[in-house]
Amino acid sequence: MSRDYDYTIEAPIIEQNPSHSHINDAIARPLETKPTWKYYLALGISTSMLLFGVVCWGYTFYYGIGMWGNNQPIGWAFDIVNFVFWIGIGHAGTLISAILFLLRQRWRTGIARFAEAMTIFAVITAGLFPLFHVGRPWLAGYLFPLPNQHHLWINFTSPLIWDVFAVSTYLTVSFVFWYIGLIPDFAMLRDRTTNKFKKTIYSILSFGWRHSNRHWHHYEMLYLVLAGFATPLVLSVHTIVSFDFAVSILPGWHTTIFPPYFVAGAVFSGFGMVQNVLIIIRKVFDLEHIITIDTLEKMNKVILATGMMVGYAYAIEFFIAWYSGNQFESFVFINRALGNYAWAYWVMVSCNVVFTQLFWFKKIRRSIIPMFIIGVLVNVGMWFERFVIVVTTLSKDFLPTNWASYIPTLYDTGILIGSFGLFFTLVILFIRTMPVVSISEVKGVVEIFKKQH
Amino acid sequence: MTTSSDNAVNYVRKTQNPKFLTLSLPIFAIGLLGLVAGFIVNPTQASFNLVVIMAWLLSIGVGSMFFIGIEYLSGAVWSVPFRRIAEINSSLILIMPILAIPIILNIHSLYHWTHQDVLATDEILQRKSPYLNETFFIIRNIIYYAVWVIFYFLLTYFSNKQDLTKDQQLTRRNTVVSAIFMPFFALTLTFFAIDWLMSLEPHWYSTIFGVYYFSGTVLAAISAFTYISIKLNEEGYLVDNLKPDHFYSMGALLFAFTNFWAYIAFSQFMLIWYANLPEETFWFINRGVGSWLYMSIGIIFVKFIVPYILLLPQPAKMNPSRLKFASLWILFAHYYDLFWIVMPTFSKERLIFGWIEIASVVFAVGTIMAIFLLFSKNRNLVPIGDPKLKRSLEFHL
Amino acid sequence: MEANSLKSNLYGVSAIFSDTKKIAEITHKVAELGYKNYDVHSSFPIHNLPKKMKLKWSPLGYIAFVLGISGAAFGLFLTWWTMSVDYPLIIGGKPWFSFPAFVPVLFELTVLLASVGTAIVMLFIIFKFPNPKHPLHDTEYMKRVSVDGFGIVIEAKDEKFDYEKIRSLFSEFGAEKIFDIYYSPEELNYKPKVFEPKFIVFLIFLVVLTAFIGYFVNNKLFYMPPFDFMLYQFRVNPQEESTLFADGFAMRPPVKGTVARGQSFYQFKGQPEEAAANLINPLLPTEQTLALGQKKFNTFCSPCHGWRGEGDSRLNQQFPNPPSLHTDKVRNWTDGRIYHIITEGQNIMPSYASQLSEEERWAIILYIRALQRSLNAKLEDVQ
Repeated sequence: MSRDYDYTIEAPIIEQNPSHSHINDAIARPLETKPTWKYYLALGISTSMLLFGVVCWGYTFYYGIGMWGNNQPIGWAFDIVNFVFWIGIGHAGTLISAILFLLRQRWRTGIARFAEAMTIFAVITAGLFPLFHVGRPWLAGYLFPLPNQHHLWINFTSPLIWDVFAVSTYLTVSFVFWYIGLIPDFAMLRDRTTNKFKKTIYSILSFGWRHSNRHWHHYEMLYLVLAGFATPLVLSVHTIVSFDFAVSILPGWHTTIFPPYFVAGAVFSGFGMVQNVLIIIRKVFDLEHIITIDTLEKMNKVILATGMMVGYAYAIEFFIAWYSGNQFESFVFINRALGNYAWAYWVMVSCNVVFTQLFWFKKIRRSIIPMFIIGVLVNVGMWFERFVIVVTTLSKDFLPTNWASYIPTLYDTGILIGSFGLFFTLVILFIRTMPVVSISEVKGVVEIFKKQH
Repeated sequence: MTTSSDNAVNYVRKTQNPKFLTLSLPIFAIGLLGLVAGFIVNPTQASFNLVVIMAWLLSIGVGSMFFIGIEYLSGAVWSVPFRRIAEINSSLILIMPILAIPIILNIHSLYHWTHQDVLATDEILQRKSPYLNETFFIIRNIIYYAVWVIFYFLLTYFSNKQDLTKDQQLTRRNTVVSAIFMPFFALTLTFFAIDWLMSLEPHWYSTIFGVYYFSGTVLAAISAFTYISIKLNEEGYLVDNLKPDHFYSMGALLFAFTNFWAYIAFSQFMLIWYANLPEETFWFINRGVGSWLYMSIGIIFVKFIVPYILLLPQPAKMNPSRLKFASLWILFAHYYDLFWIVMPTFSKERLIFGWIEIASVVFAVGTIMAIFLLFSKNRNLVPIGDPKLKRSLEFHL
Repeated sequence: MEANSLKSNLYGVSAIFSDTKKIAEITHKVAELGYKNYDVHSSFPIHNLPKKMKLKWSPLGYIAFVLGISGAAFGLFLTWWTMSVDYPLIIGGKPWFSFPAFVPVLFELTVLLASVGTAIVMLFIIFKFPNPKHPLHDTEYMKRVSVDGFGIVIEAKDEKFDYEKIRSLFSEFGAEKIFDIYYSPEELNYKPKVFEPKFIVFLIFLVVLTAFIGYFVNNKLFYMPPFDFMLYQFRVNPQEESTLFADGFAMRPPVKGTVARGQSFYQFKGQPEEAAANLINPLLPTEQTLALGQKKFNTFCSPCHGWRGEGDSRLNQQFPNPPSLHTDKVRNWTDGRIYHIITEGQNIMPSYASQLSEEERWAIILYIRALQRSLNAKLEDVQ
C-alpha cells in the first residue's frame, strides 16, 4: 500500500525535511543571485505588454472612453469584465492566507506569501479599470466622501460606491496582512545580508523586529484577528462586485444567487492563476520540495470543488429562469445558450465545468502539464463568464429596436493585454525583491513534522 | 491491507442510560398523539406544521451526512472521535416517508399549484406545471430519498465495518463515496427546498434559496452534533483525552456558519429589497404583515445576533456549557427560521402559535431522541477502527 | 557583583540553544526562578512557549473588537448624516435612511478600522516599533537566532540579575554559546525629551505640512469648479438667427398639427355674431377671478386701453388710441363678443390668444365689466 493511503500519520507538507539554514538559503537565493537572461526575457515580455497597454490607456485618457467599443446598449463591457476578472484573481490569495489559516490547513504555508502578493497585484490591476471608466480619472478622488464647496456627498446607496469602499479596503487590509507576514522575513534578511545598502533597507522594512517570543505572542493573535477579518472581507468584496449587477432589474443580472456564485467563481479563477504561476516559480527557483506536488494536488481539488459550485450556479440560474415563469428572464438565458453570443457561453461552460472534471483523476491532479493547461483554461473560462454576464444581457435589452452586438476596439484589447502586462511585471519584480515563501511559517511547519518522527 | 494494531484506543462501550430511555419515549408519544390530534382537528394547520418539522429534522439528517463527507474530504482529524454521533444523527433521513406521506395526502391544503381550478386561470402556474405537478413532485421526492438512503448506507456501513476490521482502505473508500455524494447532496437539497418550501408560494422564486436552506441545514446539523457530543462526553460515553481544543472547532464552525447564514440571508433580502420587483418582493411583504413583522425582525436577533455574541469570544468556543446552550439555541433558531418561511402561507394576517405547533415541536424532539436511542443501541459511539483516531486524540490547536 | 559594576553598559546575558525542547526547558526554569526581564528569541513562534513564559492573554482581540465597533459607528454616522440629514436625496424610491443599502459601507469601514488599527496598535504601541537601535541588533546572537538558533536573554535590569549565576545556569541547561550583550554608549545616555527643540521643530513642521496638504487637496487637487458649464455650451439663444434652417430663425414653431396638452380650438373664427350669441362666461365674479383679470388687464390691455379702459394710452401716440371701453356699444356687447375680440383681434388690435389662456380672457372680461360698472354705478351699488 502506498503512503497516500496511510491515514495514521500526517503527510509532511515540506519534503526532504530541510534544516532551518537550508530554508533560509533556498528562499533567499533569488534575492542574492544575479538573475539569468531568462528572467530579463520574461520581464521584457511583460513590460512590453504593459507598454502596449499604457499606450492604449494614454489614448483613452486623452480622447476619452469613446475609443472603446462601448456604445448603446452595451455601456459596460471590457472594462467591467476585466475589473471583475482581476478582482476575482485576487480572491485566491486571501482564501489561502486567511480562510485556510482559520481552517488550519498547513499546506497553505508554502504558497500563502505568494498568493497574498498576487492578491495585491491583482487588486491594483483591477482598480485601474473603474478609474479609467469614470471618464475623468483625475477627478476620481470624488469617489470618496470628501467635503467640498458644493456640499455634495457621494451616494452611499449606489453599488458602485460600495465597490470603491470594498476594493480600497480590500487592498489596504491585504497589504497589511501581507506586510505583517513579511516583517520577520525582512528581519531574517537583514541579519543575513552583508551589503550595507540592503541592510539599511531591510532594517527599515523590518521595523527592528527581533524574533522575540514576547512579540510572537501578540503577533500570532494579530494574525488570527487579521485572518478573522479578512475572511468575511474577501466574501464581501466579490459579493459587492456582484451587487453591481444584481441590484439592478435586468434579467440575467438580477439573481439572488449572484453573491455566493461570484465568490466561488473568484476563488476558482484565482486558484487557477496561483497554480499556474507557482508551477513556474517552483521549477525556476528550485523550490519543488517546499511547494510540493501534494500542495498543487490540493489546489487542484479546490479548483474542482469551486468549479462545481460555479456549475451549480449556472444550473440553478437556468432552472429558476424557467421556473420563474417570467418570459424576459427565460429569454435571456435561452439567448445566452443559443443566441449571438452562444460561442462565449459554451466556452465558459466547457472551460469552467467540463474540463475541470478531469481533476477527478488522481493522475491528472498530480501531473504538471495537464494541470497547467486546465489552470489556463479555468482563467479563460472565468474571463468569458464575466463577458457573458455583462455583454449578453446588455446586448438584448427590453427594446428589440435597441439590440446590438459589442465589438471590442484595438484599445479595449490593448488595455486587456496591458493589464496582464502590469500584473506579471509586478509578479516578476516581486519574486526577486522579496521572499516568495514565508520563511518563518515554513520553519514552524518543518518543526512540527520533526516532532512527529 | 494494512491494519494498524497500534491504533487501539481506550474505549469501553457502555449501556444506554435508562434515564434517557424513560425520558425520550413519553416525549415522543406525547408529541405523536398531539400531532395526530392536530390532524383530526385541523388537518391543514397540522400539515403546515409537519412541513416545518420535516424540513427541520431532515436538515439535521442530511446536514450530518454533509458533515461526515466534509470530514473525509478535507482529511480533518479533530472531528473523528465524534463522527459516529453525526452518523447516528444522519439516520433521521430514514423517517422521511413517515413525515412526507401525511403531507402528500393533504397536499391540496398546502400547495396552491395542485388546484386545477387555480391552474386554469393562472398563466404563470401553467408555465410551471411541467415541474410543479403532483406526479413529478412525488417522483422527485422518491429520488431524493433514494439518493440519501444509498449514500447513508454506504457511509455508515463502511464506517461500522471499520470498527471490526480496522481496515484503512475503508476510509479511502468512504472518501470516494463522500466526493461523489457532494454534487448529489447539493442538487437534492436545493430541489428539496424548492419543492417543499419555495413552492408554498408558487409565484415566488429566488435562486439563492437552496443555498439559504443549506446554510441553515449545516447549522442545525452541527449544533445537534455539538450538543450530543458534549453531553455524551460529560457523561463519559466517549473516549478520554478529549481536550477543549476539540470543542473549539465545533464552536468555530457554529460561529462560521452563523455568519454564513447571515451573509446568505442578507444577500437574498438585500437584492430583492433593492430591485423591488413586484414578483419577488411580495414574499417579504407577506412577512411584514401584522405580527409577522415582529417575527421577521426577530429572526435577525434569534438566528444571527444572539449566536454571534454567544460564540464571538475565543474562550467561549471552548466552554462546553456555553457551547451546549449555543447549539440548543441555534437548533431553535433553525426551527424559527423554517417556521417563518412556511407559516405565513397558512396564516396570512397574523402569527399563530397554538397547541398544534407545540405538539409538533415535542414530536420532533421526541423523534430525535428516539432515533438516537434506536440507532446507537448496537454501535460504538466512537469509530474505534478509524486510522485517524489516534492522531485525533493528539490534536491540539 | 563585581562584574556587574564593571560592565555598566551591559544589556544582558544571552545564550543560544540548539532545539525547541531545550529552549522550552530553560524558559520554564527561568520563569520558575522568578525572572521578569527576560526574553526568548526564535525565528518562528514556538508552541506553548507563551504559557511557559506566563504571558498574559494578548489583548489584541479586544482591541480589534473595540476598533471594529468604532468603525461601524463611524460608518453609520457618515451614511446617516450625509444621506439623511446634510443632503437628503431620494434615490431609487428608497427612504433617506435605507439601512440595508448602507450595510456594505458599514461593513467595509468596520473591517478597515479593525484590521489596520489593530496592526498599528501592535507594531507601534505594544512593540514600540520602529526600533532598529535595540542592543540585540547586529549581534552574533541575533544572527544565530535568525537562522536556526533559539536564544534566551536575561536583562541586567532584572532585580535578580546575577552575572555568574546566569551564565552557569545557561551552561547547565546545555547552551551552545553564551554571549554578553552591551548597549552602545550613546544609546545608554540617550533620553528622549518632550521639549527637545528638535522635537518641537518636528511638530511645527508636521502642523504646517498637514495644513498645506489639506489646502492642496481641497483647493487644488480636488478643486471642483463651479457648475457653470451650461452657460458656455454651443447653442442658440431665443430670438437669435440660425443658419441651420431655411427661414433663418433659431426658434422653431411646433410641428404642424401639434396639439398642446389641454389646448382647445376656437370654433367661431371670423364669426363675431355667432360668438356673441353662443359664448357664455364660465367664470363667476369672485375675488380670485377679478384679481386675475385685473392682473392680466394691467399687463396686456392697459398699455393701449388705459388703466381704467378709457382709451388713454400710455404709448405716447405711437399707435392710434383705441376707443373707450365705457361706450354704450361696448357696454351692451355680450361677454362672448368681447371674448371674440380678445381671441381674434379687431382692426389694429392683434389676437391675444397666444398670450392669454381661455380662463384669463374670461377673467379679463369680468374685470372690464367691473370697470364699466365703476363709471356707471347705480344707486343701489353704493348702498
